[in-house]
Amino acid sequence: MKRTSEIFFFILILSSGACSSLDEEPASQLVTEQFYQNEQQATAAVTASYRKLYETGQSLYNSLFQIGVEMATDDYEAGPRARNAHVRAISGLTHDASNDRMEQLWKQSYDAINTSNIAIDRIPLIPAGKISENIRARLINESKFLRALHYFNLVRWFGDVPIVLHETTSFSPEALYVAKSPAADVYQQIIKDLRDAENLPAPNEYGSADIGRASAGSAKSLLAKVYLTQQDWPNAAAKSKEVIDKHWYGLFENFGDVFEVSKKNGKEHIFSAQFQGNAGYQGNSLASRSAPNEVPGINGDYADAIHKQGGLYESFAETDTRRSVTFITQMVSPTDGRLYTFEPHLHKYYDPAVVGNPGQSSRNLPIIRYAEVLLIYAEALNEQHQTPTSGAYDAIDEVRQRAGIPLLRNIAPSLSVNDFRDSVFQERRKELVFEYQRWFDLVRRGPDYYVKTLKAAGKTLAAPKHIHFPTPQRELNLNPKLKQDPLWVN
Amino acid sequence: MQIPTNRLLRNRIKKRLWLRYVTMFLFISQPLILAAQEHTVPLINSRLSGRVVDAVSREALPGAIVQIKGTTHGVSTDEQGKFGFVTGQKFPYTLIVSFLGYKKQEVIAETGQVEIRLEPVQNQLNDVVVVGYGTQKKSDLTGSISSVSGNLLKQPVSSLDQALKGSVPGIQVTQTSGQPGGGVSIRIRGGSSIQGGNEPLYVIDGFPVYNNPVSAGILSGTPVNPLANINPSDIESIDVLKDASATAIYGSRGANGVVIITTKKGKADKSALSYEVLYGVQSLRKKIAVLGAKDFAVLRNEVLYDANPSRGKNQYLTQAQIDQLGRGTDWQDEAFRSAPQQSHQLTISGGSAKTRYLLSGNYFNQQGIIRNTDFSRFSIRANVDANPFDRLKVSAALTASKSDANVAPAGIVSSLLIMPPTATVYEPDGSYTLRNPFENIFANPVATINEQINKSITNRFFGTAFAEYKILEGLQVKVLFGADVNTTNEKSYIPSTIYEGAQTNGSAGQGTYSSYSWLNENTVSYAKSFGKHNFDALAGFTQQEYTSDVSRSGAQNFVTNDLTYNNLQSGATLVRPYSDATAWVLHSWLARVNYNYANRYYFTASIRTDGSSRFGKGNKWGYFPSAAASWRVSNEPFFRALSKTISDLKIRASFGTTGNLEIGEYQSLAALYSLTYLFGGKTFTGFAPSRIPNDKLGWETTYQYNAGIDVGLFNNRLQVSLDGYYKKTQDLLLSVEIPWTTGQNASLQNFGSVQNKGFEIGVNSRNLTGALGWNTNLSFSLNRNKVLTLGNGARSYITGNYIIRVGEPLGSFYGTVTDGILQPGEEAGKGQYTGSATPKPGDRLYKDISGDKLFTTAADRTIIGNAQPDFIFGLNNTFDWKGLSLSVFLQGSYGNKILNSNRQQLELFTGQQNAAASALDRWTPEHTNTQIPRAKLDPAPVFSDRFIEDGSFLRVKNIALGYSLPRSVFRNIASVEVYVSAQNLLTWTNYTGFDPEVTSGSNVSPGTDSGIYPVSRTVSAGAKISF
Repeated sequence: MKRTSEIFFFILILSSGACSSLDEEPASQLVTEQFYQNEQQATAAVTASYRKLYETGQSLYNSLFQIGVEMATDDYEAGPRARNAHVRAISGLTHDASNDRMEQLWKQSYDAINTSNIAIDRIPLIPAGKISENIRARLINESKFLRALHYFNLVRWFGDVPIVLHETTSFSPEALYVAKSPAADVYQQIIKDLRDAENLPAPNEYGSADIGRASAGSAKSLLAKVYLTQQDWPNAAAKSKEVIDKHWYGLFENFGDVFEVSKKNGKEHIFSAQFQGNAGYQGNSLASRSAPNEVPGINGDYADAIHKQGGLYESFAETDTRRSVTFITQMVSPTDGRLYTFEPHLHKYYDPAVVGNPGQSSRNLPIIRYAEVLLIYAEALNEQHQTPTSGAYDAIDEVRQRAGIPLLRNIAPSLSVNDFRDSVFQERRKELVFEYQRWFDLVRRGPDYYVKTLKAAGKTLAAPKHIHFPTPQRELNLNPKLKQDPLWVN
Repeated sequence: MQIPTNRLLRNRIKKRLWLRYVTMFLFISQPLILAAQEHTVPLINSRLSGRVVDAVSREALPGAIVQIKGTTHGVSTDEQGKFGFVTGQKFPYTLIVSFLGYKKQEVIAETGQVEIRLEPVQNQLNDVVVVGYGTQKKSDLTGSISSVSGNLLKQPVSSLDQALKGSVPGIQVTQTSGQPGGGVSIRIRGGSSIQGGNEPLYVIDGFPVYNNPVSAGILSGTPVNPLANINPSDIESIDVLKDASATAIYGSRGANGVVIITTKKGKADKSALSYEVLYGVQSLRKKIAVLGAKDFAVLRNEVLYDANPSRGKNQYLTQAQIDQLGRGTDWQDEAFRSAPQQSHQLTISGGSAKTRYLLSGNYFNQQGIIRNTDFSRFSIRANVDANPFDRLKVSAALTASKSDANVAPAGIVSSLLIMPPTATVYEPDGSYTLRNPFENIFANPVATINEQINKSITNRFFGTAFAEYKILEGLQVKVLFGADVNTTNEKSYIPSTIYEGAQTNGSAGQGTYSSYSWLNENTVSYAKSFGKHNFDALAGFTQQEYTSDVSRSGAQNFVTNDLTYNNLQSGATLVRPYSDATAWVLHSWLARVNYNYANRYYFTASIRTDGSSRFGKGNKWGYFPSAAASWRVSNEPFFRALSKTISDLKIRASFGTTGNLEIGEYQSLAALYSLTYLFGGKTFTGFAPSRIPNDKLGWETTYQYNAGIDVGLFNNRLQVSLDGYYKKTQDLLLSVEIPWTTGQNASLQNFGSVQNKGFEIGVNSRNLTGALGWNTNLSFSLNRNKVLTLGNGARSYITGNYIIRVGEPLGSFYGTVTDGILQPGEEAGKGQYTGSATPKPGDRLYKDISGDKLFTTAADRTIIGNAQPDFIFGLNNTFDWKGLSLSVFLQGSYGNKILNSNRQQLELFTGQQNAAASALDRWTPEHTNTQIPRAKLDPAPVFSDRFIEDGSFLRVKNIALGYSLPRSVFRNIASVEVYVSAQNLLTWTNYTGFDPEVTSGSNVSPGTDSGIYPVSRTVSAGAKISF
């Protein structure tokens, strides 16, 4: 008996040796060391960079631009359903360095930049043979295009900003604390990246599976816009002319086609944030944010509204074909069949395929499109020559003609440089409503212009400091090398 | 906890029997000899034989002393508990029966046979408490351990953690949801971690588990409390380990305290069958006062007029329409109900010296006080102990359960409050009203409750088994295996007939969370006494591994709502599926030594070393030592003179370190996560980094000092324990914020420290011990918490409505301070303090805390209260008289603040949603003398001190009246007990929300009452029949 129990016990003890290991080998997660090894993984790294255009929730190119930036213009305001005090603050220009939407602009942009930095750092290290050299170069240049895009946004929003060009891999002070660089240096970096990105394939060189990627056309167009913002008129004119002359792009005949789901990534689209409702992917949430909330069955959110005093809707001529694409004033309820009439609501991204669920809109958000390149060219020529040249008239009129409004050449053939400038800005305002351009266009013309325009629209708290956003207080708290924008120091 | 009849105690008692017999002999021999001298021929008038047994277990009590009252004639019972008298006394005469650990009893002997049942005494010093990896006599303890008294375990609760409320000093239990099967938040001696887990470790029959709610991500609302899968009626005892001396043996998991749960076991030689039944009715304690239809219509008219004066004063409804309105819809009445609750338990136990068993089956069903919510559990248990061979003991405690819950979807309680009374539940055509008709869009909550399926089904198998082999006397080896297998299925369906499903045209989801954890413990223990030196030691190796995986799938856009979640393939739109898998491993070595000299000087030392997979490569192993000493002053010779008054006096002190590793898995690795983007209209997958790697990541370490004193007065009728402690937790697992320019938000690092210090009193008093018995238990705890340092030299972090600031306790509310109402004419001077770009009279004013002559919600905030209580207490009084028993359990909390987020919503007065009844007192040009602001469209809530309320309360947590029917009433039935009880019958509080027992759980943001399922009041009746 004693023997039996001893044997039993001996077996038990033997069976309970260490059967487990303390090393963590996650079954469902990848770690950096095992990734970035071949072409497929390099491609996935860059795919992630694209997604950082808008990741989840209120993200850069999926409404954050509207909520965190455009609210601070004469054209938009926080709608009746915008419940967030921070959003209402931006709309009323009472925002400060603790504003959480502004924090998100900074945070999400650097997150996107870091994702590009990883690709730019690691893809060159992939052994030859594991990746085709063409693809390697393309992926790096795509990443540089995206990095430039985000720095371009940052420098316009915040002025001087820290430049980070490599992946952060440690907690050393050098890695964590980066001082601001002057805006001029940031622009230099943007131009450097975009020059590299000009080597991307032409838009027509991409196969059907790669539609939506940044192309040489995207890089050149964005570069033209960077030069324009810097008031480097000759380069802006030359670069936009280069895009025009390549004949890669053209205007759609109907303005409405710009936002048609079936015309996505068409001849006018140079670079867009890609959306796809339902199907387990992400819809364009601007559609629900702008849709009316009082029409049964539409389920709109009405958080992004037009600032009535700015007179945006009224600035459109009755004949302007853009008006009915850009706005909506009546809708038939899909549930009760009644016609509802309401004040003008923004409507560019409303997707009729998903009635009742507007957040699942499949409409893309244009980041840069050909109409804007034409307007860049018109503006740059006018400034370069200090008079609207014939080419400048041609460019703006191409846009006006498509809109169905009288050509500028016909109604005002001999505008002064200043009047022509105003015409271009007015055209930009109407052409690019709800495309995240208004704030940039206002501040581009300087603090006086910005303050004057906003005050005229009843946003009386507008001040010169508002041509920048304050550097987020959180960043100032965490990074001893960072200083607040002088405009925002009390 | 007390297990006076525990086998261990019995063994100890047996060992000492010889001593007892000698004493007995000395005690009674003297008078017997004298008696013999008086009566040369003894006169025999009666012969009595009897047996003394434990009243609860019916086990024989060897060594009990039986004395004939009024004489010196006494005997002690033998191994079978038997005794006999052959005396000159005539029947009837009275016997006095006493035994250590039992109530002294007087029994009238009328015939020649008698069985005497002794009631065990609670909290006697000889009771055995369960400690980590063993048991100890209460009198030998050096650390701070409290046992939950037996009658608190009898409360009708769905999970055992709810029975801990107010039970022992040093433990704070707050309800996180009143949902049937819902959870509680437990803090033992305050929260020591900021972002890591703060819930204690539970050790159930030797198996350590954390009570982390799990979800497959399909369920909306509060997940079911995992402890609700364990039947509380099976629990024999709960011991709470508090100081480091007690918890250090659990090493890296001991810092939050340890709750040890032991389930009931069968007893030798006594077969028992019992059936317990309980029925109860639960109801809502109080409703929240909101506006009726007329008042709401007036408010909305006022708001619309304010926003658009040109459109007139009756933009919503005309006065005639308003006059026609009744009270409107009372949404709370539509959703809340009286809900039944029932429980049935069948227990069979018995066995022989070689094999003991206990089998139980339980069915518990609790309907929720919100319609269409419930929790039910079916569980079975088999506990078996056997001694197949002389030196071998084997034991198994196994339970399997299935529980089903219908959970209230998230946000439902808030919606019930703010849904306008002018909206109806149904449209005239009988279909549901889809949503709030106004600007703040949310679904008709009654439709959501009635039509949305939101189910959680859990199957859990939980068991441990061990074999113990005695190599030599005192030297034992034990091997234990345990397993916890859990599968939670979640099912949801949102039909197209309600608002949430109208957009997707029906939405179905199914998800599974399954986990498997196994445990192996190998320990060797040795006990030896030589002379006055008593010594025991324990050493061992343990390993535990946990794996889990989650998967979920879903579909939308259904042709019919009939198939609900059962036919995902028929949905036209598929939802992206999801799966995940995680695992962790813990290896540990442990050792403990107890030594005492002459039962006067006690020393304990323990050490555990833990290796965890969760930490960085360079930091896998940690060491957790502890030491403790106690001095049993009352056993000193010099103390004898005092021992009549002070029957027991012990002074204790301990120090030790424990850890906390409650972070998720893989936190030290440079993990990547997947995201997708569209190229050519097709989805492609990308990978981006989740964090910057941290090889140095380790656990939080808690250093705890404890000093205590245990006093027993008047033969231990009054026992008082006092404990003071100081706990410092450092290397906090803190998600340290880093500059966003790194591309990351934060990194988990060991940074910062928090302290808790406090004081606890436990009082246990047997006030009356006669025919009318009266016992009082008091537990009182006071804890002060403070953040000492934060990472990277930071002074504070703001998270939502809270601030974590150095020098302040956790749970500090950070918000604005109200400063009256802007009155006409003050716009120019004070308008900037309203936070509004266009201030108007009637707007609320706020204090300009930053002093910049401007009020902004970001800059003008300060600490406006704290969610942690000044002190908490529980007071339990039990009375018994002739089979009647009454227990009254009071519980309370003082000084804690609650953020009444529900009221913040209800005081927006936007006319877009319903408002609190306080809206009737709002500012209007005619009614300016008020603290309630005007109605206006601004829907952005400002968090201010107005919504911080005193959360102090005193409540009759449980009151129970029981009656044990006299044995003569039924034949063949051993006993029948019936009782009625009520939970939360009376509550005194100034808190205006549903119930003051409410918290939002996490240590960073506790004490927010935001749409939490309210705790109910329950009245129930039950019976226990034993055969």
